[in-house]
Amino acid sequence: MTPNDTPAAPGRQYDAVLHLLDRQIVDPDDLLIAKVDDLELTRRDDGRWAVSAILTGPGALGPRLHGRLGEWVGAVWRRLHPDADPAPGRIPISDVIDIDSAVTVARHRDALQIDGLEIWVREHVVGRLPGSRHAE
Amino acid sequence: MKKVFSIALGVLTAIGGFVDIGDMVTNSLVGARFGLSLAWVVVVGVLGICVFAEMSGRVAAVSGRATFDLVRERLGPRVGLANLLASMAVTLLTFVAEIGGVALALELATSVNYLLWIPLVAAAVWLVLWRTKFSIIENVFGLLGLALVVFAVAVWQLGPDWGMLWHDATHPTKPGTEGLPTYLYYAVALFGAAMTPYEVFFFSSGGVEERWRESDLTTMRNNVFVGFPLGGLLSLAIAATAALVLLPAGIQVDTLGQVGLPVAVALGKLGLAVALLGFFAATFGAACETGLSVGYSIAQYFGWQWGKYVRPRQAARFHLVLLLSAVIAAAVLLTTIDPIKVTEYSVVFSAVALPLTYFPILVVANDPDYMGNRVNGRLANALGTVYLVLILIVALAAIPLMIATKAGM
Repeated sequence: MTPNDTPAAPGRQYDAVLHLLDRQIVDPDDLLIAKVDDLELTRRDDGRWAVSAILTGPGALGPRLHGRLGEWVGAVWRRLHPDADPAPGRIPISDVIDIDSAVTVARHRDALQIDGLEIWVREHVVGRLPGSRHAE
Repeated sequence: MKKVFSIALGVLTAIGGFVDIGDMVTNSLVGARFGLSLAWVVVVGVLGICVFAEMSGRVAAVSGRATFDLVRERLGPRVGLANLLASMAVTLLTFVAEIGGVALALELATSVNYLLWIPLVAAAVWLVLWRTKFSIIENVFGLLGLALVVFAVAVWQLGPDWGMLWHDATHPTKPGTEGLPTYLYYAVALFGAAMTPYEVFFFSSGGVEERWRESDLTTMRNNVFVGFPLGGLLSLAIAATAALVLLPAGIQVDTLGQVGLPVAVALGKLGLAVALLGFFAATFGAACETGLSVGYSIAQYFGWQWGKYVRPRQAARFHLVLLLSAVIAAAVLLTTIDPIKVTEYSVVFSAVALPLTYFPILVVANDPDYMGNRVNGRLANALGTVYLVLILIVALAAIPLMIATKAGM
């Protein structure tokens, strides 16, 4: 596709590297969820590869950083993760409803349960400080 | 009427918010040593920040994303991470300098040692970032920062030979007593102070916080092209007071008190009181802006929720970064490191980090995928490219000059 085409919509052709990787993911309320840290590809029946899910978090980002740094990010994430054999955050591509300067998904941020650190910090640090529910 | 008011408010806060501890200390220091012979650098630097602030503001208004939200998409995760770490280190150093500046201003006003103020100032900055509305932070400290206009009044009150001042500023010659490397080193420092990277981080993220749309572009451009140059004039006024009072007396600037000394000479106690209010507002406002910028840059790289437009518990990691930054800044300053020295180094390291901040802005502002038909025009690209070359030269020269001159000795 040419750069002047309208941004790719689901079900249409798009350049996964140019339009998906590293893009911000937002929920229907415009809350920020994560970046598209990596993509899950699945081989379809006709033998072609298709993006089946968006992967998020250090578990997905680590391998893309390559080298020592990437290994280290992955190792720290595995050590701190409550599961014995953790998997990166996963959002099925069918949940994606729009792709423009951000990737919008149909489910709400809290329903996804993919950002363990955010939840931990909210419960153990920020949520305990007075005024954390205070809105502007 | 409401529109006029909002434009006036935007311009006024842009003026008052433009000057920070780096601008104050560097301009005064340079004025006291080189007169107005480096004033041209401030002019070049202010035009540069205008060009790039307009681009990053436009990116925020058109795409709804802060510029650095988009950097990782175009540079990739690895280069993006290197960029993040370098710009964040410089912004954190600037944050330390601003908090130190607030404490020094309070010491001047109260005669209580600045070290006792440090924990209180760090806590107060955090509390403001935790509880206060974004627009209030921007407007209150921006407007109070206008107290620095007292430096312009002081120049007028000192009754200089205006023809001579103009001649010195427009025919820059290196003073015979200073070496060329020293002259160039301070040129780099002034350039770094005028173009401090956090200003564009903050400007574009602030645009997202305030929900700018394409219809806000005119207001944004007013703030940039009227407010910033007038803020730059305040910087020049600080340099001019130092050139008129400190240079003839052979006084070198090592403390914040010396920055304010010419105002005391020209306008007495009352003038000094207004200058102290200006110091406090400018440094406190900039401390809030740099603190937020540290949080913005990390959160935008990793895709975390950030911003003052949501409840703190909805942006938990962002607020944890703000809290940790305040603790780190207080800890660094409590080692009794001299805040003025921190400031001097922060502006030079800002100069080193400039290409990391400004190159991605130029890339994103030219990307039709985000910008549609609002991509850079020819003028913006021509100026942007010229400045990018200039910024690269400055960044490469900064460290060698620092070593060669023993940091301006």
